[in-house]
Amino acid sequence: MEVLRAENLSIEVYSRVIVREVDLTVSKGEVLYIVGPNGSGKTTLLRGLTGYPGYREVSGRVVFCGEDITGTTADYRVSKGLVLAHQIPPKLSGLRTRDLLNYIAKRSGRVGDVEEVARLLDIGHLMDREFGRGFSGGELKRVELATLLLLNPSLALVDEPDSGVDVDSVMLISEGIRRLYELSPYKAVVVVSHTAFVARYVGPTRVCVMNSGRVQMCGGPELLGEVMRYGFKRLA
Amino acid sequence: MGSRGWLEEVRRRALEGLSIAPPYGPDVDVLHYVELNKRVAPGRPDLSRASEVGIDLERAGRSAYYLQVDQRVLQYLSRVPGVEVTTVEEFIERDPDLAAEYLWKLLDPSKDRFTAAAALYGFGGFVVRVKKGVRVEEPIQTCLFMSSPGLQAPHNIIILEEGAEVTVYTGCTIMPEPAGLHVGVSEFYVGRGARLRYVMVHSWNRVTHVRPRTAVKVCEGGEYVSYYISFGKVRSIQTFPTVYLGKGARAYLASILLGLEDSEIDVGSYVTLSEDSSAQVVSRVLARDRSKVWTRATISGSSGRGHIDCRGMLIHETAQIYAVPELRALGREAQLTHEAAIGKLSEDEIAYLMSKGFSREEAEGILIRGFINVDLDWLPSRIRGYVEGILNLVASRA
Repeated sequence: MEVLRAENLSIEVYSRVIVREVDLTVSKGEVLYIVGPNGSGKTTLLRGLTGYPGYREVSGRVVFCGEDITGTTADYRVSKGLVLAHQIPPKLSGLRTRDLLNYIAKRSGRVGDVEEVARLLDIGHLMDREFGRGFSGGELKRVELATLLLLNPSLALVDEPDSGVDVDSVMLISEGIRRLYELSPYKAVVVVSHTAFVARYVGPTRVCVMNSGRVQMCGGPELLGEVMRYGFKRLA
Repeated sequence: MGSRGWLEEVRRRALEGLSIAPPYGPDVDVLHYVELNKRVAPGRPDLSRASEVGIDLERAGRSAYYLQVDQRVLQYLSRVPGVEVTTVEEFIERDPDLAAEYLWKLLDPSKDRFTAAAALYGFGGFVVRVKKGVRVEEPIQTCLFMSSPGLQAPHNIIILEEGAEVTVYTGCTIMPEPAGLHVGVSEFYVGRGARLRYVMVHSWNRVTHVRPRTAVKVCEGGEYVSYYISFGKVRSIQTFPTVYLGKGARAYLASILLGLEDSEIDVGSYVTLSEDSSAQVVSRVLARDRSKVWTRATISGSSGRGHIDCRGMLIHETAQIYAVPELRALGREAQLTHEAAIGKLSEDEIAYLMSKGFSREEAEGILIRGFINVDLDWLPSRIRGYVEGILNLVASRA
């Protein structure tokens, strides 16, 4: 069963086309890894797929669970279960982590789960601090994953969960990604990564390589190994 | 001076002050409001409006409270052992010599025409006295309500004896139409090791001028915590409370201000430090419409630690915010810092929240509510809930 499909999708960010003519599908039961060098358009693709403000589809379409969601807003796509975990969430002035998680949990009817999610991701010490202010790289990734776990996503798109974090954080984050996969009624998740550290804990079922705003190739899990062995340039 | 002679001296000085305009805030013809008091019959107060500023009269009746409407004292009582609540007139009547030790000792009646008007024409005001070592959990609620045009100028005194601890919650509001001038004169005395938490919530109307005059003396090891929240329409507010900290004393002063329509709001705090004392002055300003808001803060001392944190958010293009933090280090042992920032809602932050499923409007509401968060840990948990409720109201009106 097809969960998400991008057809000939081009995405523009503030009048500049970054992602070009991408065809991509995510199917039920799939852990899809998207890898690619810096600036290859991975983040733009995820933001475009989730309708992030300022990211506009200029051609093609996005179909999620059979519904054409092209041109819809980010909050609409979240309401349908398509959710993005950001690479680095912004600081939210004055807003405590606990408040943000409670706002989200209230909306998804999971207020009772906030503390459990905080425990899982070891962010209890961040709950009464201003969201993002003075957080380490690993802490930022973990609070971001916490927001996703409370959103009940049908499909989570996780952007660079393992860049700039220590091994303990990678393990916690991997556990969070595994939970997202289990939460998904389609048992699917998309992970964008440079380093593939999390792949040791949450293995891909399929891998796609992006370059210069396009999906260059897709293959099985072994493709990730080749990327790690030869690098993107030699692979190209 | 004889037992009442000091009152004559206060009067003499106040007459001098009537001609003195204050340095900040728009000037107002105070005598016009004094005349209104004589000409206009008292209005009928709708006391249910007191709940808007967090006053719960039913609950207050179970502990201690004071209620004044215009220049009339309506009710006051204390059921709490060790806590006296009375009016300033009764305090003077009962013990003029003791009253002389506390009235007009921290504030000068000749300071400006508003202070002078309060000294000459004011009536009422609460006197709350908490005996040595008495710690009160339930807040003492005081409500200063205006129902008629004219001047309301109560003189409030809080005396905490050594080791006492209390929260005084004051709500001030007015009926929708009357053009009022509210000048609340407040002198607070926090004894050695005592803790006073003072929460003041204002919601006025678009034609009312407000000029609180406050001074606080905190003795050695004492603590003074103040939250001032103003969220209604108002013509103008100008206040600049002064806090004198003794050795090892602490102060936390927070102002949360919402500027609406054409209001002019000028709110500051002045803290004088001494050895081993510390102070934090925090302000959060939301300015809408064509409002102008000044947020001032001065920390002065030759020793001790002080920090000023002023943040402002312009909701509309036509509003203005001025942050004026001032540090006066009068000796090498003073450690003083400040931060100030004024801006608008961040598009990045809005976009981020939209990616979590919130509409743009909801995202803005969440960010505004977050912006006005101040440290409420200085308050007991039951009062924290009150204040959080008021802050939710502020955010919803912004």
